[in-house]
Amino acid sequence: MITEEATQAAPAPVRATPEPPRPATRHRAWDEVPRWHVYLPLSVYLVFTLVPFYWIVLFALRPAGSTSLVPWPVTFDHFEKVWTERSFGTYFQNSVLVGLCTLVLTTLVALAGGYALARFDFKVKRGFLLALLCSQFVPGALLLVPLFEIFAKLQLINSLGSVILAETVFQLPLSMILLSNFIKNVPYSLEEAAWVDGCNRLTAFRIVVLPLLRPGLIAVGSFAFVHSWNHFLFALMFLNNQDKQTIPVGLNTLMSADSVDLGALAAGGIIAAVPVVLVFAFIQKWLITGFSAGAVKG
Amino acid sequence: MAVALGSVLALTATACGDDGSGSGDKGSEGSGKGRIVFWDNNGGVRTDVWKQIIADFEKANPDVDVEYVGIASTEYQSKVDTAIQGGGLPDVGGVGAAMLAGFSAQDALEPLDGRLAKSSLNGLLNKDMLTSLKAAGGRDGRLYSVPTSANNGVLYYRTDLFQKAGLQAPTTWDAFFTAAEKLTNAGRNEFGYTIRGGAGSIAQALDAMYGQSGITSFWNGDRTTVNDPANVAALEKYAGLYKKATPAADVNNDFTKMVAQWDSGTIGMLNHNLGSYQDHVKAFGAAKFRGIPQPTRPDGKRVQVSNPVDGLGLFKSSRNKEAAWKFIEFAASRAENSKFNESAGQVPANTQAAQDPWVQKSEPTKLAAAALSDGSTTIVQLPYYLPDWNTISKADNEPNFQKVLLGKMSAKKFLDTLAEQLNEAQAEWKRQG
Repeated sequence: MITEEATQAAPAPVRATPEPPRPATRHRAWDEVPRWHVYLPLSVYLVFTLVPFYWIVLFALRPAGSTSLVPWPVTFDHFEKVWTERSFGTYFQNSVLVGLCTLVLTTLVALAGGYALARFDFKVKRGFLLALLCSQFVPGALLLVPLFEIFAKLQLINSLGSVILAETVFQLPLSMILLSNFIKNVPYSLEEAAWVDGCNRLTAFRIVVLPLLRPGLIAVGSFAFVHSWNHFLFALMFLNNQDKQTIPVGLNTLMSADSVDLGALAAGGIIAAVPVVLVFAFIQKWLITGFSAGAVKG
Repeated sequence: MAVALGSVLALTATACGDDGSGSGDKGSEGSGKGRIVFWDNNGGVRTDVWKQIIADFEKANPDVDVEYVGIASTEYQSKVDTAIQGGGLPDVGGVGAAMLAGFSAQDALEPLDGRLAKSSLNGLLNKDMLTSLKAAGGRDGRLYSVPTSANNGVLYYRTDLFQKAGLQAPTTWDAFFTAAEKLTNAGRNEFGYTIRGGAGSIAQALDAMYGQSGITSFWNGDRTTVNDPANVAALEKYAGLYKKATPAADVNNDFTKMVAQWDSGTIGMLNHNLGSYQDHVKAFGAAKFRGIPQPTRPDGKRVQVSNPVDGLGLFKSSRNKEAAWKFIEFAASRAENSKFNESAGQVPANTQAAQDPWVQKSEPTKLAAAALSDGSTTIVQLPYYLPDWNTISKADNEPNFQKVLLGKMSAKKFLDTLAEQLNEAQAEWKRQG
């Protein structure tokens, strides 16, 4: 059923109002502040934040047994060791596969579900939204045994499919709520105009609505990718074979009961962190827009 | 969506019935051929040596294939517990003394006494390790895990620093405390000792307490001896080292931080076990440190707490128990047990393997093996059989031990609390028996 809002006439086009000039006093205040008042605290904070990362890089790049505080001479032995001897090459591929499949599945299903929540009114809508919200309160660990049994029946244990399915299901509620808020913010009149021009609902959605959802899709997709990339529990429980395991599980095996190769652990940590850092570096702008826009009450 | 899909899948699962892979499944002997699955309880660093052993086994038994699954030690228990409840247990798994009580209480393991009696291994396994695993398995006195190795507490010390300071090797507790004090120069970031204040701190503190007090039993009737006045005094002295002879950061030390700190700094002594020996060799080379058994008391007696014995268990749900037992037997045989323990740096359970030349060449292992077998050491058996032991000795009391180090709780109060919980757990265990 189409919502009441949808049947109303499209609102008149709104002219963009020019941005009001910034108060002059703000500029003066900024100019009067000595630069070190800003840069010193920021630098201290930056050092505080980055020292642990430096420590990881140091352990990863300096030779085993070295106590030097600078990674010199630089060695890539630890990276070579984890990538080849400790199968991180395989773990990396598996993590990429799990991450990308979760991203695609989550985004597609959340898009369809979010559209339904935003544009249609149905009897159990409030109850459904409540269920979505409540599902966020259930920790994954609580569902391990039932999920394990279900995947065993479906013969998905020791298959990446189990992890992809579990990750997607756990990502969907938040993603769907976010995308539905995004879609609500796109004027319904735009879609109606497309219908008048001969588009069906799907084409209108693809041509008119979808391009406007880019920040939301990037936010939801990246969130799904990063979450599944970092998630440890499902991969640990549902995957057995070494050639099926993912990066977080591989990292865990670098720490034995009574011995830790810190160089290898640091190198593994960098391999695990780089894709996430790159993803955030590229999408930062859209991510912030995405979350703030998606947070608007619909 | 999660709820909806979960409900649908749950209904599907219920409709399908039980596949019999969970606990309660009696399994079957099988043909002795085909595929078996082995879960390693310390996967990662031991993966390579297990793969060699599996290759040897498959060569000797071409009709059996072993699928290896390496699981990090920290996650092993939860993975097995999930499989016990949800199905999917392996045929063979690493089962050490610390986890044995939990698994056998869930009826997940096959008793192995009968198989061992008929095996070529009979009489060749270290008797103390067998006793320890039988005791840890629960109240029926049966063997649920074939021992493969034992770890032992080691006092590592920097020979170069001791020589420079003109100190004797810390073979007695008096020499230990003297060295800890003399090697400390906090202004230059030099410390005599590094104490374990984070995860795993309780077992180490118990070792230091019983080692000094000389009390040789964990129980006096149904009451624990942990809060005996001699143990309280010993703990006060040991905890008193914190910040006087140790770095302040030690309050959060788990073994990883403690070992890393010792390997990268100028700290004189470290208590850990045989497992970190190779890390120290990498850090210093073999010439700059030694690993010796725990110090002795003034009367020459050495008392230490038991370290968990590691072993291999056969899961009851196995559909191929004959092949699974073949694998356990093979892994505990002289050649393979020797190979495994040489790689792990631990004391072999196979008494023939314990005579192999590598044991004599690796000083900490040789000394530990001697300490465990020559009668010079009294072992205080920790109550691994108590289902609550892991909780009591970790989550429940580690924060309190940190308070003791920080001076916010007295050693007496800490030990009284610990004793109360242990006495209660013991009484509960007896009631259920």
